[in-house]
Amino acid sequence: MLSAQELVWLMAAVAKGDRAAFERLYAATRAKLYGVVLRILRRQDLADEVMQETYLKIWNSAGQFDPALASPITWMVAIARNRAIDLVRKKTEVSIEEESDVFDFAADTPDPLAKREMTEELQRLLACMARLDEERRRLVLFAYYHGWSREQLAAKFETPVNTIKTWLRRALLDIRECLGA
Amino acid sequence: MTDETETPDGLAAEYVLGTLGADERAQAEALIGNDPAFARLVRRWERRLGELHAMMHSVEPPPDTWARIQARIDGAAPRAATLVQPDQAVVAAPESNVVALSARLQRWRQVAAGLGALAAVLVALVAIQALNPAALPGLLRPKPIEIVKTETPVNPGRFVAVLQQNAAAPAFILTVDVATRTASVRRVSAEQPAGKSYELWLVSDRFPAPRSLGLVGASEFARPALASYDPATVSSATYAVSLEPEGGSPTGAPTGPILFTGKLVESVPPSP
Repeated sequence: MLSAQELVWLMAAVAKGDRAAFERLYAATRAKLYGVVLRILRRQDLADEVMQETYLKIWNSAGQFDPALASPITWMVAIARNRAIDLVRKKTEVSIEEESDVFDFAADTPDPLAKREMTEELQRLLACMARLDEERRRLVLFAYYHGWSREQLAAKFETPVNTIKTWLRRALLDIRECLGA
Repeated sequence: MTDETETPDGLAAEYVLGTLGADERAQAEALIGNDPAFARLVRRWERRLGELHAMMHSVEPPPDTWARIQARIDGAAPRAATLVQPDQAVVAAPESNVVALSARLQRWRQVAAGLGALAAVLVALVAIQALNPAALPGLLRPKPIEIVKTETPVNPGRFVAVLQQNAAAPAFILTVDVATRTASVRRVSAEQPAGKSYELWLVSDRFPAPRSLGLVGASEFARPALASYDPATVSSATYAVSLEPEGGSPTGAPTGPILFTGKLVESVPPSP
């Protein structure tokens, strides 16, 4: 992965319509974005479709990217996740059923990063999440990594969906207060 | 029952986390496109949670994905040309439907970007003129509203409107499904004054007086039926929310101030 600064530079070039820069941006970010959407969609054909839409959107809206608001990779991941979740919500009947086949190798535990590789923001966020109850922390992480709806989380956690909603919102409020921003 | 977490910020947080169902996602996306304050809440949550992706495994996509992305870009016509003269993007292309749609989207984006505020004001004027004051005895100086409707990609023929006077004012999200003739309205950030209820009305020149569509639930959806109205009426009607005594208007006509009015206007989903 290129540094955030290099990605910002590439993004600026992409905003001007530089195809070579776009190809470099793709090469630097494709595996991260594919990992994100494949985890949510669990089907290569759907993940491939979302990758196309995501990069088309990145190509078309690179000019709207504001480095003061987000890092390039965070911005791109947000686009990819939103596309993937929008798609999976229309196909829930498929995705719940096919939960545990080919991609079981993608463990439920997140990719362990050496602490020195973590950004400061990530370290702060994880410190705040560590203060949540074990179960609520798992709930938030499952939601983020799998893109699961409240209903899916309710099934997984064997808890009523209203309780899941309350837990989620309280956990998010706690995170917000802990981060203080 | 009031729930301290039932706030726009809670909705923004869950949108970013990804736990909303299709309907609530469509509503959140409508808000993002039309309510700058809500869009800011979403951006803040993206900053707070966005770094979590760093803990996810990378997976190489299939090698032909890049070729498909390039083909999509080439098929979608050069951006500059599309932006300046959207109509030219429709010229002969293998996937002319896709291109035409993309051109239409670009045109709408132009409108949205350049004329958003003006369009909202015009629509508001149209909406207010569409009201027949004589038919509304309780009409007390309706304020200009910001009404925006989004045809969601989830279900063509379903419209989502944000009823809001300005970013600081209480907001309602109105969902109308023309095909099934159902409407729901949800309070997002409006406080319900004690002893009062919000009531949703359909106003159409086909009827001498506004028709009540039911009360607006606290945080739950009300499901007032539109079954007795034909689709043309549903899509051409003006919708209004009034503040009524608890339990709704005692007379069957709006008695309190009209807080919001709006019409369904064709638009496109905001870019996420």
